[in-house]
Amino acid sequence: MDADRGIERLPRGRHGLSPEFVAQNQRRRLISGLTQGLYEVGYQKTTVSLIGRRAAVSKSDFYKHFGSKDDCFVAAYDAAIERIRGQLVAACEKADGKAWSQQMSETIEALLKLFATEPALASMVLVEGLRAGRGVYDRYQAAIESFVELMRQTEPPSAEGTEAPEATDEAIVGGIAAMLGRRVLAGETEQLTELFPEILEFVLGAYLGAEEARRIVSAG
Amino acid sequence: MSSTRPELSREFVAGHKRRRMMDAIAELTAEQGYEATKIADIVRRAAVARKTLYDNFDGKEDLFLSAVSATMTEMRVVVEEACERSGADPEAGIVAGLEALLDFVAEHPSASRMCMVEAISATPSSARLYDAGVHDFVELLQKSAPDRAELPETIEESLVGGVAWILQLQIRKGDAERAPELLTELSQFLLSPYPGVGKVVNTGRRK
Repeated sequence: MDADRGIERLPRGRHGLSPEFVAQNQRRRLISGLTQGLYEVGYQKTTVSLIGRRAAVSKSDFYKHFGSKDDCFVAAYDAAIERIRGQLVAACEKADGKAWSQQMSETIEALLKLFATEPALASMVLVEGLRAGRGVYDRYQAAIESFVELMRQTEPPSAEGTEAPEATDEAIVGGIAAMLGRRVLAGETEQLTELFPEILEFVLGAYLGAEEARRIVSAG
Repeated sequence: MSSTRPELSREFVAGHKRRRMMDAIAELTAEQGYEATKIADIVRRAAVARKTLYDNFDGKEDLFLSAVSATMTEMRVVVEEACERSGADPEAGIVAGLEALLDFVAEHPSASRMCMVEAISATPSSARLYDAGVHDFVELLQKSAPDRAELPETIEESLVGGVAWILQLQIRKGDAERAPELLTELSQFLLSPYPGVGKVVNTGRRK
């Protein structure tokens, strides 16, 4: 889990590491510290001192990286979205050339696995991002839109003469994000992978019709 | 007659003032966000005394929560009533409910923005109200849905979440008034998981 890796301290004393490396490492640790703190004690109680303590970075070093806790939050949020996008792109590429339903299947699976193994990341992206106020909400919206774009790069086979309308892709991605957010709020993050067949059926159903979606999902 | 004013009952006036304060906070939070909205702005907009506000509400958050909650209830009631009016056919019921929701958003852009956008991030209590409101719609859809025996539980959560998301985008764009134009697309989306329901929905849009 990347968040844990990020927390690892560098060796003390003389280590011959470049200042840039140390700075990058500190930044990553601070982002992990905030993400974990947010998950465990919520935004209010995740103070700059707590982030620093968790990251083993001094308060004055914190301010070399970020102007404020909010700044750090936005950076953490962006980093989380980038990781998700990376996973989705990798899954899409791996499934390239396969049937559309298989591409969807592998992408959804990758997303759920990532959230289930990193509950702090899931919580920040799906729950805290929405609640944090306008600035971060814009990023949530941009992220959803970029996932919609990603989805549009795949070509769903449209059932006889019908075409899924414009808003469908957006409603699907936004709807899944909202549903997952509700599961995360309910404390079911680690069980998210169990939702895989349901989500797949939901996505396929919107394009192929309910009967066809059921057939594909049942066939595994 | 010393006055040309019509005689209004004390209750009527009091109720009217409450309503004005709730409308004012809806407009103001829609315009400038919850954080930036001050008590002074609210009383000025509602044309009531500061004391009247504090006689009716504990403060800004209490007023906001009351307004969000009242709008959520109104929204749910218009949707429920439209579903019921449409008769026994579940498909027609869902489309009628959706149509009522879209019309509500178009007719009450500020109140809708307050409930569906501002409430999520304003305060923890308002976020809970939003969640509870979404939950009500999830239950309503499950109740109205065509035979859904074999469908997974999360289907309606994704459907309601999807419709909410599209409306949030529309509202944030400042296009709440055009929400009814989404009826055909969103009907198709809402009905898509239910087996046996036609993929292309004839919504018979009036106007």
